[in-house]
Amino acid sequence: MPDNTPDLLFGTFSTPVAQPPHQAVDLAIVADRAGLDLVTFQDHPYQSAFYDTWTLLSYVAARTERVHLAGNVHNLPLRPPAVLARSAASLDRLSGGRVELGLGAGAFWEGIAAMGGRRLSPGEAVEALEEAIQIIRAIWDTSTRGGVRVEGTYYTVRGAKRGPAPAHDIGIWLGAYKPRMLRLTGRIADGWLPSLGYLSGGPADLAAMNRQIDEGAAQAGRDPAAIRRMLNIGGQFAAERRGFLAGPPRQWAEELADLWFTHRISAFILAVDDPYTIELFAGEVAPATRELAAAGATS
Amino acid sequence: MNYGHPLHFGTFLTPRSDEPEAVVDLAQRSEALGYDLVTFQDHPYQPQLLDTWTLLGWVAGRTDRIRLAANVLNLPLRPPSVLARAAASLDVLSGGRLQLGLGAGAFWPAIAAMGGERRAPGEAVAALEEAIDVIREMLEGTGKTVRYQGDHYRLAGAQGGPLPAHDIPLWVGAMKPRMLRLIGRKADGWVATLSYLQPGQLAEGNRLIDAAAQRAGRDPREIRRILNISGRFAADRAGFLDGPPEVWVEDLLPLVVDEGVGTFILMIDDAGTIERFAREVAPVLRAAAEAAVPGAFAGPAPRRTSARAKRRQGIDYDGLPPSLRETAIEPGDIGYTRVKSTYMRGGAPGLVLQPGNTGEVVEALAFARAQTDVPLAIRSGGHGVSGRSTNDGGIVIDLARLHAIEVLDEANRLVRVEPGARWMDVATALAPYGWALTSGDYGGVGVGGLATAGGIGWLARQHGLTIDHIRAVEMVLADGTVVRARDEEHSDLFWAVRGAGANFGIVTSFEFTVDVVGNLGWAQFVFDASDTAGLLERWGQAIEASPRDVTSEILLGRPRTGQPLLAQAMVTVANDSPETIISRLQPIATIAPLYDQRIVITPYAALMANAPEGYHTGQGEPVAHSGLIAHITPAFAADAARLIRSGATYFFQMRSVGGAVADVPPDATAYANRAANFQVVAFGASRRRLDPLWDELRGQFDGMYLSFETDRSVERLHDAFPPPTLRRLRTLKARYDPDNVFRDNFNIAPLTLVD
Repeated sequence: MPDNTPDLLFGTFSTPVAQPPHQAVDLAIVADRAGLDLVTFQDHPYQSAFYDTWTLLSYVAARTERVHLAGNVHNLPLRPPAVLARSAASLDRLSGGRVELGLGAGAFWEGIAAMGGRRLSPGEAVEALEEAIQIIRAIWDTSTRGGVRVEGTYYTVRGAKRGPAPAHDIGIWLGAYKPRMLRLTGRIADGWLPSLGYLSGGPADLAAMNRQIDEGAAQAGRDPAAIRRMLNIGGQFAAERRGFLAGPPRQWAEELADLWFTHRISAFILAVDDPYTIELFAGEVAPATRELAAAGATS
Repeated sequence: MNYGHPLHFGTFLTPRSDEPEAVVDLAQRSEALGYDLVTFQDHPYQPQLLDTWTLLGWVAGRTDRIRLAANVLNLPLRPPSVLARAAASLDVLSGGRLQLGLGAGAFWPAIAAMGGERRAPGEAVAALEEAIDVIREMLEGTGKTVRYQGDHYRLAGAQGGPLPAHDIPLWVGAMKPRMLRLIGRKADGWVATLSYLQPGQLAEGNRLIDAAAQRAGRDPREIRRILNISGRFAADRAGFLDGPPEVWVEDLLPLVVDEGVGTFILMIDDAGTIERFAREVAPVLRAAAEAAVPGAFAGPAPRRTSARAKRRQGIDYDGLPPSLRETAIEPGDIGYTRVKSTYMRGGAPGLVLQPGNTGEVVEALAFARAQTDVPLAIRSGGHGVSGRSTNDGGIVIDLARLHAIEVLDEANRLVRVEPGARWMDVATALAPYGWALTSGDYGGVGVGGLATAGGIGWLARQHGLTIDHIRAVEMVLADGTVVRARDEEHSDLFWAVRGAGANFGIVTSFEFTVDVVGNLGWAQFVFDASDTAGLLERWGQAIEASPRDVTSEILLGRPRTGQPLLAQAMVTVANDSPETIISRLQPIATIAPLYDQRIVITPYAALMANAPEGYHTGQGEPVAHSGLIAHITPAFAADAARLIRSGATYFFQMRSVGGAVADVPPDATAYANRAANFQVVAFGASRRRLDPLWDELRGQFDGMYLSFETDRSVERLHDAFPPPTLRRLRTLKARYDPDNVFRDNFNIAPLTLVD
């Protein structure tokens, strides 16, 4: 049962194109001013038409005021975890606690290898991700004494100093689809961040995936509600209904509220590259969805 | 000994993680105080410090002008392929402000503790050399595939890019001979810290670098010498850099004059010292250095040897006047990708000059003329179809930096616009006054090319051509004289410029009278074009029957198998009353079955804000033909439909002219074919396919609009200009450009050459 004060988040997922140079930054500023909660960018460091996502996030953080920022999701194989942890903590401190950390195990291994990264099998990549999260959390944990020591199969950290401590409790969100990643999400992550477009069965797939996350959480003795269920979505505004998330803002709100009621999705991140759509999403869809969710929760 | 670099000053701020605001504040103060550079140390294993790369990104977002660098980056914890991508990103985001300082690594136990590779000193130097190779290749931009098999770094076909905003210098922090020799071979700067150097070590380091550079075939002046210094202000001299500002200047001057230091970086976090150095040491030292070795610090630094190797024959690059040198772009320069091509054309010019004022245009033109047998192209926005505005191995005078827009006389709506401005910028600048100047249909087009040819835009029927609004021009003629042309002076030139301007010189400034233009009705209709000929004919009739406040264009693409043929019509109604707009649109909306429609009331500036930012990436050569026609007759519509149906054109467009365009007498300007109601253009993939079908239409045209024509044959001149106009143009060409310097865009041969 969803609790009766749903805390829903709305965000953007804009393409980090390097040309035109200010497009991604300007869209983030629009999202910030429109009152959205999140600005996220995909991270494909082997993709030459895109900005380096960490650099872009650092720059955008300096140009925005309220919105939280995250990679959606970071390519771990090309970003050594101990450095990434300190980078995230640094940006969190600079931005006044506005950074979250979306992580992926890696995909597109050709591209990763082309950049000099290590090629892993999917199973290995999940194990590597778990080790990385252990390192990242330990670097952030300045309340424990002594250096960080993780002797992993994929990452070894021997006595690295802890800190700096982030300004707020940075959420670790995982882009997960397969059972092993979903259970890992349940065991150790703070959020789950899949893309609706990758679900072959559409939103209906969310039920079984949510169950696997819940099982992972239960195994680890965690409250399944501690893992925020988020979703990257795409859609189109139109005067009349044309399909799922294709129609007027009110229709979107109903469909998103339904994702909250049915699948506990509490963060909606819209793939969007134009300011008009961002303003409609923030100005009309977000408040209407929140209203519907609150009304449904109390009825 | 000095290396000729302009003297720069920087700060070196401790990126303390416990007080992130303090370091950002000092970075902003450094900028406000006029420092050239702000730098931060990088020790990713040290939690008392912020991650330096993250901080650089943040500071880039909070500053506007100051250059940024790490002093120096820890390479072992920053893989070079990702670092290169990050560096290019930060350079673009910051507007070209990044300098990439690299270090081989130190504090190896701490690096290993973080999971980094522990390297012996020799290995670390070898790894740095590999990293420099990788980074340089990655920074060459998109399209470059980087394969690298090193001992430390292996890239299996990484894609280079994004393209940095400027040539990011690679600086290396070094003390030992092996590293210094590496700098001589491959780097753009040596970063040393004075307090770590023994007496004489600076000179010895320079000797090693210079000798290594020369062995590698490089010019030692390519390498900037950067020195980190620290000191203290005091009332009296107590030691080296310890005393009043005069003492600092006295101590630093020999380092500039004798040791060739080009950049001093102050390693002090104290705001008072940072301010005092900026106010009392930096300017005095600059003046003292200039006095000691006059002219030595004028810069810019010489181009890298590797860049010079890409120069083209026949251009005296080293003879370029100093005023043009800094902004000139050669094939080996990082900015070349941005300027070589135009919207529709691939290019490979040998030199792109970017003059910033009329005087520099004169110099650029004189330089270009002095290079014999080298093609010359003039570019404003780079959208030219007839105007090539690029070439292969020649010179391009690119007017992009001449982009001012200013109101001269508000009461008379007189504005001055420079040729490098784009029409979307003009529309935005005029909007606050409630004014607009009809231009073309695309905001990315430059002012110069369009305003010297015609200008058939969204308000053509209401307000005429763009050239009909010109009151005066300032232009540079072929012989370098600068003239003002208007009705009262050089009136013949003023006549010629309005329709054939590209043949007569380089306009450096236009004065326009603009119109009061309120919000417009703007409609986009998608029509079923199955009855192609009928649709075109009915569109033509509907537009001709419309009042002048209606201007329209209709566009058809290449038919696709299995899909209905569609036509897109755009209509502006120069009126903001919804009733009027609807009544004007009604007859147009009913010319064929509608697939889609969108109607908005919008400012003209919003209509023109339709072009993305960024550079042109055109390839190949466009093929396009233009014609002007009085009426869309059934015969013409049938021939046009056959052309469209053939698939030989991927873009067939008709725009309305007539109305106010026809109010101007044909002999008033060089643009003479005023009677037409429509301008027709077809773009094709090849002349072989397009030309035979276009030839069938040709007999029905009354002339053409040169701006949409790619055919260079002499017959086309007769299409563009009626006999009396052409005769007068040739006579004037013989007077103003007898050597036919301006022949890049629809060349009118001087009368003397013809006869």
